[in-house]
Amino acid sequence: MTRNMIIGVTNFLVYVTLQVLVFQNLVVFDVGFVFVYIIFLLLLPMELSFSGIMLLGFATGTIVDVFYNTLGIHASACVLLAFVRPYWTRLVTPRSGYEVGVLPTLNSFGLGWFITYALPLIFIHHSTVFIIEAGGINFLSMSLLKGLASSILSLVFIVAIQYLFFKNQR
Amino acid sequence: MRKLFQFLYRYRAFFIFLVLQAICAWMIVANNNYQRTVYLNTTSRIAGSVIEKADNVSDFFSLRKVNEDLAEENARLRQLLLNSNVSIPDSTSFITIPSDSLDSMEYIAHSAEVIRNTIRNTNNFITLNKGSKDGLMAGMGVVNKDGVVGKIRSVSSRRAQVISLLNTNNPISSKLLRTNRLGTIQWDGSDPRTAKLLYVPVDVDIQVGDTVVTSSFNAIFPKNMMIGVVKSAKPDIHQRDYEIEVKLSVDFGALSYVSAIENRLKPETDSLSVQNPGETND
Repeated sequence: MTRNMIIGVTNFLVYVTLQVLVFQNLVVFDVGFVFVYIIFLLLLPMELSFSGIMLLGFATGTIVDVFYNTLGIHASACVLLAFVRPYWTRLVTPRSGYEVGVLPTLNSFGLGWFITYALPLIFIHHSTVFIIEAGGINFLSMSLLKGLASSILSLVFIVAIQYLFFKNQR
Repeated sequence: MRKLFQFLYRYRAFFIFLVLQAICAWMIVANNNYQRTVYLNTTSRIAGSVIEKADNVSDFFSLRKVNEDLAEENARLRQLLLNSNVSIPDSTSFITIPSDSLDSMEYIAHSAEVIRNTIRNTNNFITLNKGSKDGLMAGMGVVNKDGVVGKIRSVSSRRAQVISLLNTNNPISSKLLRTNRLGTIQWDGSDPRTAKLLYVPVDVDIQVGDTVVTSSFNAIFPKNMMIGVVKSAKPDIHQRDYEIEVKLSVDFGALSYVSAIENRLKPETDSLSVQNPGETND
């Protein structure tokens, strides 16, 4: 548990910093944005309570918002992500089931499971951000295109990061 | 009560979710310009349509009063027509007709209906059911049959917002009809039936019942539009100016139909003052 907590705090500091300093400036073809900081929310322990995840999501989103100058938008998307995550994890339980104390990382349950777990959540988060940014459903197709492109891009980065840094942690 | 708490506790995750999203929505609207504009536009469109529907209903019940007003105004106009010294064309005598009657018109009145009106705030605004599509523009004066109502602050395609005379930020250049002394009408934010007439020095002869009209020194209203009558006048504590209370001729609590006045020569007047900078001070 303590180990997970240390991992969580490190994740938070590293990825939020990376997000606001590096990935904020990365835009691919005007539609691909990278919001890599949500890896922190995705990799939170399974045992964490509903409200705990949501409060953490709110805090993370607000901090990112401060740097993006979009106060409330990322916070709202992160809270939504945190609200959906427990339901989604219940639906996509791997065959072996979850073990207590094991983080839902790529190494724990495999690449296939991780993509099924992460992609829909990332997509929900990203489309929420873009829809709120567009001020409603006026530019829905553009928002969803951005959401999809950015989700795939973010997923690539999130998987790559885990291959790079989480390899030997188990 | 225990049931309620049990219910709240059981769905606490959902309620926390709602609370956090509400905070987010508040932060978004309070801090992001674009999102705030979208929010305000949407809400005002919804509120506008509701108000318009309600107004349609209340209109129906005030039809009798409106009819009476219109009949009264018709009678007054006919009276004016009869009294004016335009001779009836006689085929045996010469008459002169201005070459283009449009050129001789300085003011054009556009009629509009009031769909929202407040009188109890410090700064009151009126919303009209016409906008730029109907020829209304920002800066036009608004009157009804009794006198000055306000001036248009902004227009959208089908709505116009009017700064009411009952607005502490809306001074109107005016004069006393009998003595031709200039002053400024300004509402003090308290009684919707009276306004203050400012900057009239104590040496002016003033009597209760004197008529206050718009002066010719503003491009918004034609001169000699009725504003009200002097209700009371007494010197202020410095013995310099009068403190004059003017009873407004317009009943702002019962505004229904108004006219927006377009000054066709305003662009010309303005461009003339722009050509001679330094000689005007407005």
